[in-house]
Amino acid sequence: MDIKLRNIRYSRGAKITAVIIVWLGFLAAMGSSLFLWENRGIAGVSNYARDSTFQNDFATMVHDTVEYHVVLKSEANIKNASTDAKTTANNLQRLHQIEKVLPTMVNFVYYVRNTQTGENWTNLDEQRLSKLGSETVDPVRFIQEQPTTVFLGTSTIEASVPFSQIASSTEDMPAGSPYEVYAAVVGSLHPGDMFYNDFVNFMGTKTSIEFATMVLIIAFVLAAAAFIFLIYVTGRRDPEEEDMPGRVKGMYTDVHTLLVFIAAVISLCIAPGTSTDVPKILTIVALAVVLSLDVFIGLSYVLSMVRQFRAGQLFTNTLLYKLGSSLTAFLRLAFQGKVFKGWMLLLLFGYGIINGLIFILLVAFNSHSVWPEFLFILLVFLAFNAGVAYFSARSLAALAQIMVAVKEISAGNLDYTLSSNDIPASFAAFAEDIRSLQGGLQKAVAQAVKGERMKTDLITNVSHDLKTPLTSIINYVDLLKREELNNETAAGYVEILEEKSFRLKQLIEDLVEASKASSGNLAMTGEKVNLHELMMQACGEYQEKMQQAQLDLHMPTAGEAVVVWADGKYMWRIAENLLSNVIKYSLPHSRVYIDISSENGYGSFTIKNISAFPLNISPEQLTERFVRGDESRSTEGSGLGLSISQSLTGLQGGKFQLEIDGDLFKVTVAIPLWEE
Amino acid sequence: MERFNVLVCDDDTAIVDALEIYLKQENYGVVKVYTGVQALQALTEHEIHLILLDIMMPEMDGLSATIRIREERNIPIIVISAKSEDTDKIAGLNFGADDYVTKPFNPLELMARVKSQMRRYTALGSIAHKSGILKSGGLELEREGKEVRVDGEIIRLTPTEYGIVVFLMENMGHVFSIAQIYEQVWSEPSYSAENTVAVHIRRIREKIEINPGEPKYLKVVWGIGYKIEKY
Repeated sequence: MDIKLRNIRYSRGAKITAVIIVWLGFLAAMGSSLFLWENRGIAGVSNYARDSTFQNDFATMVHDTVEYHVVLKSEANIKNASTDAKTTANNLQRLHQIEKVLPTMVNFVYYVRNTQTGENWTNLDEQRLSKLGSETVDPVRFIQEQPTTVFLGTSTIEASVPFSQIASSTEDMPAGSPYEVYAAVVGSLHPGDMFYNDFVNFMGTKTSIEFATMVLIIAFVLAAAAFIFLIYVTGRRDPEEEDMPGRVKGMYTDVHTLLVFIAAVISLCIAPGTSTDVPKILTIVALAVVLSLDVFIGLSYVLSMVRQFRAGQLFTNTLLYKLGSSLTAFLRLAFQGKVFKGWMLLLLFGYGIINGLIFILLVAFNSHSVWPEFLFILLVFLAFNAGVAYFSARSLAALAQIMVAVKEISAGNLDYTLSSNDIPASFAAFAEDIRSLQGGLQKAVAQAVKGERMKTDLITNVSHDLKTPLTSIINYVDLLKREELNNETAAGYVEILEEKSFRLKQLIEDLVEASKASSGNLAMTGEKVNLHELMMQACGEYQEKMQQAQLDLHMPTAGEAVVVWADGKYMWRIAENLLSNVIKYSLPHSRVYIDISSENGYGSFTIKNISAFPLNISPEQLTERFVRGDESRSTEGSGLGLSISQSLTGLQGGKFQLEIDGDLFKVTVAIPLWEE
Repeated sequence: MERFNVLVCDDDTAIVDALEIYLKQENYGVVKVYTGVQALQALTEHEIHLILLDIMMPEMDGLSATIRIREERNIPIIVISAKSEDTDKIAGLNFGADDYVTKPFNPLELMARVKSQMRRYTALGSIAHKSGILKSGGLELEREGKEVRVDGEIIRLTPTEYGIVVFLMENMGHVFSIAQIYEQVWSEPSYSAENTVAVHIRRIREKIEINPGEPKYLKVVWGIGYKIEKY
């Protein structure tokens, strides 16, 4: 049910309705079937006379009549005929019993006649005959007219209904005795005895059976229709809905079958376990619950099977199939040498066989108590296994060694050497593969480093080639400036030429530095650098320019010395770049703050200034090469300053951080603290 | 006055011609050559007092030429090169060059360097070593006359600047922090960031150095302090 509901995808209501119909229909069909089964005796006969209850009763009464009038007769007769007291007492008891019962049978009539003496006994007198609506006053005739009538003659039995019980009831009649017995149940029954009661019961049941049969047919048809509907729709997807994953979820088919089978067995065990001590209503409820569960389990199973079938995986979605295919794949790989090398497989087999043989010998000698041989074989057994264990341990150790090497290499330690000494032959090839892999990696890394160096070299060389003509440009512009130019415009042009040629010079120098710094192609000379001292020196260098740019510089008074492990020259280049940026881009008449601090193993200095231009650019973009805060590039500068500073900071193991908050521009350079 | 001759050697004729103009303005005689081999040849043919030498040239580069020249001669050699790496500069100076100027150079700065080297080569050797004079290369401090000279030229310094130079020259080669310099020169304890020291040092460098950005005498040890180099 659960599985089913989960997969309902279209016309959900219809499916649920169908399930309910199947459930109720099944319950109704089972209930009515059970009822029919219990009353199968009544259902099987067309009228009351054929009913076994009636026939039993009738036979009993015939028997009683015969016993009373033919055998027992009277107390005197019993006492005369008796041989012992016990029989007498029994017979007397029977006599009284029958005497009591016979008159209550209002629908049972009989006529017994002794053909020798002419004596007769009957419960039919004229008064009773007329009361029964008889047209004749002859009791024998009346009896013979009844639909259920029997005649026991001296040697013949005639009965209007076929019942074998009559035969047994006549066994008591002495053979060849001169008695004739007529007995019948009247056609139109009157209330008052068991024949009538049984008749009423029979007729009622008969009606119920008709009803139950109808219920059975309707319930069966409905349930079957709903079931067929479910089978039809299950596993078909609504084409308008999104495609579901191709595979149908659900249990393995064989596991599911097994579980259903177990459920069936359990419910079968429960069903007959209902005892008569339990009230009938409880039994019915319990039965209904068990049946309901069975319906749902069975339905979900069938539908699941249908779904699996539709998905074409009825047999593939079995645990056995999965296990089988896994095993097949494993064996295939094993024999193709992908899991085990062929020789390894042989070794394994060999090990198993040898061990098995030794073990068999061991058991054999042990059971025959051959001590010296047993001890010898035991030693061989231990030695063999110890040897194998040693071999395995060595191989595993080698494997562990190789694993360590692979881990080291993957962590970037490309120069890790995997010694070939302790590697046994089984892993030698593997180790060799790892080594060649390592070699390939080393080559690739070396190539990458070489490529980076070549790039830097190229930039350096190009810059050399640029510098030589630039030298001439600068020199001749300077010479031109010294010439007496009688033209003010020309003098202005020369000014521009001079300015731009110096720009070009600065650009080329910065380009080389940036390329070297970013490729890490710079050697670092680590030394103690006091950040406070450094910033004071740097500010000393830039104080006049700061004043010219109308900036107010604020430095902290000397606090605790913050000493970092850095290259002083690079630190100066960083400070220089940042301070020259401050001078170039700060808003005039604003304040510039420098802070120095240390935390988390880093010493850092922070420079804060207010930008003269709106900084609608991200910090990440700013540190890219050739990007400048002012998009128009109207100011001097190469656009490489921040990039160089960032690279140099990284080169010294530091962190370079830019923050832009409105017009506030904040740079933090953090360098690892110097440790003793 | 004797006319000094400068040998200019560069494979770029435009640069050689420009240098000729500058040098002639400074009243030097100029000999122009374009390869290292020509330079060696010219040395035998002319009386040369200073050499301006490019490194990257056809037919023997500048470094090889420097080595060959140094085998016989002691004349000042200023290397002019587009190679600006520290290693290039160190190599050039180690092979015997007296100065190293990177292209593109400022012509005025180059002329200052030429004059400086020329003075030292032609004049300084004659100055008698007086007592009470502290000397580091071309930088001299005469305490009696309270004079500081660079390559023989007197430098005008303020009393504070003079005090700083005296302190650093007395402890030549040692590095002193800003606070130490302040306490010594001002003779009072340094309480706070004495930015003035750094500013004074910057001004001294502008006065005594040809290129204050790359000082020869008063060096900045970044993040540690200042020193006057011992030559």
